[in-house]
Amino acid sequence: MKPLLLVLLLGVLASPGLAQQREMILPVPASAYSQAVKVKGGTLVFLSGVGPVDEKGVLVAPGDYAGQVRQTWENLRRILKKAGGSLDDVVTMTVYTTERRWGDIFTDMRKEVFKTGYPSSAFVEARKLKTPGAMIEIQAIAVLKE
Amino acid sequence: MKLVVMLALMFLSFARTAQGQELKKEFLDPVPEDSRSTAVKVKGGTMLFLAGHTASQPQRDADLGNFDAQFKSTFDKIKNTLAAAGGTVDDIVSMSVFITDLRLVPQFSKLAKDLFKKNFPAVTYVEVSHLARPQSLIEVQPIAVIP
Repeated sequence: MKPLLLVLLLGVLASPGLAQQREMILPVPASAYSQAVKVKGGTLVFLSGVGPVDEKGVLVAPGDYAGQVRQTWENLRRILKKAGGSLDDVVTMTVYTTERRWGDIFTDMRKEVFKTGYPSSAFVEARKLKTPGAMIEIQAIAVLKE
Repeated sequence: MKLVVMLALMFLSFARTAQGQELKKEFLDPVPEDSRSTAVKVKGGTMLFLAGHTASQPQRDADLGNFDAQFKSTFDKIKNTLAAAGGTVDDIVSMSVFITDLRLVPQFSKLAKDLFKKNFPAVTYVEVSHLARPQSLIEVQPIAVIP
């Protein structure tokens, strides 16, 4: 009888909404992304495209790709923190860049940012981004561990 | 006594499971001038990933009209798709908007304001050089979460 009670208690604790399972499928460390991310449970956060702007929406680091990428990470961190999470919760991102030859710079910077596993990602050259002068914009989906 | 405890635990277990399905949505930092929220937080519900929708017609060279006409036709199709899955336009939590000229964004935003009366989804606007049909000015790829 007692083991059965224990099993039921575990069932209550492990039921959906409490535990999150996450698995990075076929990571590609050289390019700092995973081919897929498998997630079960948790709270989803859909972000609007995030670009290299300050709190007032003014472009930061004009003409400086690395500077713009840094600002974009900062903005992603701030928005995710407000949503109750962090950059580590990002499961997938679509990276829009105005010149695809900057891909290597971006990859190196993404390696420094993600320490607990890489999100899945697409890297796309767009003709123009919403903020005039922006060289990068990231559209991300996160799954919070709560 | 043990039976009562067991039944109570079973009930709790089922209640938790049911609770996990209940939909909770939070629209963070709305940006009304762009008809978007900075982020949308979602717990529970059923997810619906839509294809990119355009105003395109079966005849490849059909006249798709001006931007306003294409916006209407694109969202009519999105509404159809959502309805087929049991949802409505209010269930959209995120959209990628691919547009051939970013100068059309203010007009998109104005029309979207009438569409999403209360809560704006997260939106990413990107200018692309071409869509699938040469007449297409816009393609919208939404994600929805249905209660």
